[in-house]
Amino acid sequence: MSASVAAPSPTHAGHEDRSAFGLLMIASLFFVVSGLVALIIAGKFHFPTLLGSVSWLTYGRLRPIHTNGMLFGWLLAADMALCFYLVPRLCGVKLWSEKLGMATMWIWVLIVLAAVVTLALGQNQGLEYAELVLWIDVLVVVAWVMFAVNVFATVFTRKYQQMYVSLWYIMASLLWTAFVYIVGNFGTMPTTGVNQANLNWFYVHNAVGLIFTPLGLAIGYYFIPKAAETPLYSHRLSMIGFWSLAFVYVWTGAHHMLHGPISQWLQTVAILFSIMLMIPVWTLVWNFFATMKGQWHQLKDNVPIKFLMTGTIFYLLTCFQGPMHSLRTVNAIVSKTDWIPGHAHMAVLGAFSFFAIGGAYYAIPRMIGAKLHSNQMANTTFWLWLVGGLTFFVSLWIGGFLQGLQWNDVTIPFIDTVKFMSPFWAARLLGGTLMFLGILLFFWNVLMTYVGRKERPAETA
Amino acid sequence: MLSKIDKSSALFITAAVVFFWIGGLLTTLAPPLLDASWAKPVAGLKDHATLAKGGDAEAAMIMKGRAIYVREGCWYCHTQQTRTIEADTVRSGWRGVKSPVSTPDEFVYDQPHMFGTRRVGPDLSRVGGKYDHQWHVTHFRDPRSLVPGSVMPPFPWIIADPQEQEALIAYVQSLGRVKDWRPAQDYEQ
Repeated sequence: MSASVAAPSPTHAGHEDRSAFGLLMIASLFFVVSGLVALIIAGKFHFPTLLGSVSWLTYGRLRPIHTNGMLFGWLLAADMALCFYLVPRLCGVKLWSEKLGMATMWIWVLIVLAAVVTLALGQNQGLEYAELVLWIDVLVVVAWVMFAVNVFATVFTRKYQQMYVSLWYIMASLLWTAFVYIVGNFGTMPTTGVNQANLNWFYVHNAVGLIFTPLGLAIGYYFIPKAAETPLYSHRLSMIGFWSLAFVYVWTGAHHMLHGPISQWLQTVAILFSIMLMIPVWTLVWNFFATMKGQWHQLKDNVPIKFLMTGTIFYLLTCFQGPMHSLRTVNAIVSKTDWIPGHAHMAVLGAFSFFAIGGAYYAIPRMIGAKLHSNQMANTTFWLWLVGGLTFFVSLWIGGFLQGLQWNDVTIPFIDTVKFMSPFWAARLLGGTLMFLGILLFFWNVLMTYVGRKERPAETA
Repeated sequence: MLSKIDKSSALFITAAVVFFWIGGLLTTLAPPLLDASWAKPVAGLKDHATLAKGGDAEAAMIMKGRAIYVREGCWYCHTQQTRTIEADTVRSGWRGVKSPVSTPDEFVYDQPHMFGTRRVGPDLSRVGGKYDHQWHVTHFRDPRSLVPGSVMPPFPWIIADPQEQEALIAYVQSLGRVKDWRPAQDYEQ
């Protein structure tokens, strides 16, 4: 294989990490809130009248708060925070502007609070992941431009000429996201019907594929070699993975409308490219696994590595399911069932949140120069998330798959297929509760690390 | 070329955007140009938004009901698409008649589209006229009184507002009616 490349080592550039840590704290707080909302709406599947007499606590109002909260309040904010941490380190310079970073953080807080209030009031644009009203969309664009300026200005003033693979993913994500977000939130305004649905699904798919995927992978590429203190296995593989992702991912949005009222040829294009997605995924997973060669014993007590490598496995599974769902025969069973939320939760919580939490546990002590409040607690977070997550995902896959088979047997009344799901939803609620406990521990650990930072200074500054 | 691309940020940015835009533009701008059927309404399809602006009371009612459907997130649990799957046409059908599959020309004026993504409850693409007015009133007030085992929430604040109640039911009753697929016009009122 080609020569191994080390992630550039930290320099003494004097990183302040104020915006990185601030944004991470905010993200963890929103993580708790979104998790709580998640438990309430999961509970409503068993007690449909739970909190049901108040309009703003009903399922239809809380669900977008949960999805937007997890995606943008927690995960994107955490990813941005980790970018603020790792971009300057990979460039060998300080973050271009901490002030701009802090301003980005405060706008993000404003966006999330505004989102919660408007969604609770029922101000919903009616498009998945693009529910937020126009003025909040504009704020998101402003915040994203501020974030991008900071990252690019840091990259342009870098000391190391060669850009490590994490930087490619981050820079590309900044540019792609601009296009994806504008199509999904503004391009849908003058369009209607199937044309609008096509743009909507382009956005929904690429929000995961070209925002959370590249940022998550950038985190994996940076923190796996760092946390395991071992060089990345192959530069060439990372290049194949990146450029194939850049070309292939964007074509696949229409696979959300398979068998639906959208042109057959567009469905076929989406299917073909969905299968090709295996190229970037498998090259990346190969690279991460080969990096760990001879280092697997670290899984025993290196908590960030536990999170990062489990995230890698979830990523592999998610991205194996994706192309499989795109096959028309499989899609005819699983589409519109609970299998799909099982898949989506594994992508966002399983793969990318595992990356983000692993990165955060590694980075936080280095951001504030203090040892982590409790390694034991971090380890417990991992096990709660692994057991809770698997319970959650697997129960929805099994239940969803069987429900799909039942739907295709028209002798079974629809309502019987709903009642059939009850035990699987109960397992989802149980798994979700374990994950929520994990979120609480994560938040508490981060908070206490900050509160007690003076008592536990890091051994090496 | 490849050896230089990770050293020059300008070169990298250009390549990343070009690679992405090939698919990005072809899958967003090209399809509606290549497939004219997306924009061609089926015969008899009404543009309720425009009619409502012109003073059509029935169209205004349907648009108000549609806004409630969007506001309450009904579309998170109900799809509006009878897919090209045999079972869909049976389940969307009524009284032994299979429903036609959904086609783009039925949705030309939909803004936002309500195709949906998940079926916690049944698909609604052909629900118009399957149940009568009083059934819907009772169902929105207490879904389980009519469908034991249902997980749909009650909507007391809509039932408490006669205008909202009438509008939402008018919208639901309008769904899927443009393709006149029912023999003998046996729609419930």
